[in-house]
Amino acid sequence: MSFDPSFMWTAFLSLFKALPTTLFITIISVAAGLVIGTIVALARLYRIPVLSQLASAYVTFVRGTPMLMHLLLIYFGLPIIIDGIAGLVGSSFTSASIPLLAFACIAFSITAGAYMSEVVRAGILAVDKGQIEAAHAVGMTTPQALRRIVFPQALAVSLPNLSNSVIGMLHGSTLAYTISVIEINAQAQIVAADNWKYFEAYLAAALLFWGLTVLIERMSGWLEYRLNRFQRGGAA
Amino acid sequence: MSRRFDIHYVLDFIPKLLAYLNITLLIVGSSIALGLLIGLLVALPRLYNVPGLQRLSRIYVSFFRGTPILIQLFLVYYGLPEILGWLHIDVSRIAVLYFVILTYALNSGAFISEMIRAAVEAVDKGQVEAAQSIGMSGYQTFRRIILPQALGISVPLFGNLVIGNLKDTSLAFTLGVMEMTGRSQTLGTATQHFIETYIALSLIYFVISVLLERAFVWLERYLNQYAGKEQTSRQQRMAKRWQARLIPISDRGGKQG
Repeated sequence: MSFDPSFMWTAFLSLFKALPTTLFITIISVAAGLVIGTIVALARLYRIPVLSQLASAYVTFVRGTPMLMHLLLIYFGLPIIIDGIAGLVGSSFTSASIPLLAFACIAFSITAGAYMSEVVRAGILAVDKGQIEAAHAVGMTTPQALRRIVFPQALAVSLPNLSNSVIGMLHGSTLAYTISVIEINAQAQIVAADNWKYFEAYLAAALLFWGLTVLIERMSGWLEYRLNRFQRGGAA
Repeated sequence: MSRRFDIHYVLDFIPKLLAYLNITLLIVGSSIALGLLIGLLVALPRLYNVPGLQRLSRIYVSFFRGTPILIQLFLVYYGLPEILGWLHIDVSRIAVLYFVILTYALNSGAFISEMIRAAVEAVDKGQVEAAQSIGMSGYQTFRRIILPQALGISVPLFGNLVIGNLKDTSLAFTLGVMEMTGRSQTLGTATQHFIETYIALSLIYFVISVLLERAFVWLERYLNQYAGKEQTSRQQRMAKRWQARLIPISDRGGKQG
């Protein structure tokens, strides 16, 4: 067994087949995570009774346990709950009909939600209090002020953190292979085992992830530049 | 797929999993210790702008922060023996645990080097100038002025890294290392009570994370006891924001908002 650089190209081509799955998991979990994160962050910022305590508990638990645990807990726990409910209602729906990919997406959305809530919270807190007061003064309601004034500014501030979270979710999506979802890591394993060329396959996978990460970085950098365009120069 | 949920199994599994806590902590402890060394070595060329090495350390940091730890595990496990094989060094007898520790050390090293840089850069430039103006040498300035302040600044970042490392060790089971997660897999398979093992395991990870976090908060307070409150939080904010700029492949200068 010797190193075969030409095989890396073969591996690359094969990994591209799994790229959509990886991107799908990442995008879904980031999008759902942003929604969950915003709700959780607002519940905590506005100290809504009960909800804010629940939100804190959720964030603390998720951040204190490995992402793998969330995946495995959902993968083994959700079917028990679903089948239990289906049994009570008498529905013929069983957890076996849920695709594996859905479990990964649900679990990672839960993970992303907790991390995103911290990003959103930091972003909102970074916006000057005077801004929301000014918005109130010109007659905006709180939802209006949040949507029109606070969120755009918070987004600009939190972009570096946000892109970190996106990259974290991209890297985390490799865990999905533990529940037999064929994403890039699983595909690398398949290609490697088929050809008995493990090093080349994982090197190709690593390069692919590296490229994706740098791409996300660049995009976030460009976006940050764009969003902050109106903030620069002159009397700030 | 698995049997009825039974809470007794959770209580039953906790001590069984805790028996393997020492392996988990061994991975965390040794990889962080090794990572500190690697991190310092990698950070130095960039702190002092050493021409060729600076580029190398940049690529190193970018690679290890830009690829998933799971891929890194496999890469080191399968790649290292091959690379060393070219040099006619046989590592096939070395236990897989050492490969895991090495991977986590390399990974933490990249993050730690960024942490060191962030912390050193966050120390006010005026401090160095003041130290030099009263006649301190470069080493004295570093040892007496920069280091104590940088330590205080870096504690929250370091705490996050250690906790992240602890959570990442749950992946070591993929190479067959018998740590807590590996043990939970065998317990789950043997009893068919998977969900209970994972609840037990999550609780253990959670408690250790919380304890670590408390310890780091305490350490932070201890190290920053002489620093002004406002100054510390400002510097930490700076360091954090600075560190959030992952993968500095290109210098994205002049991008301050």
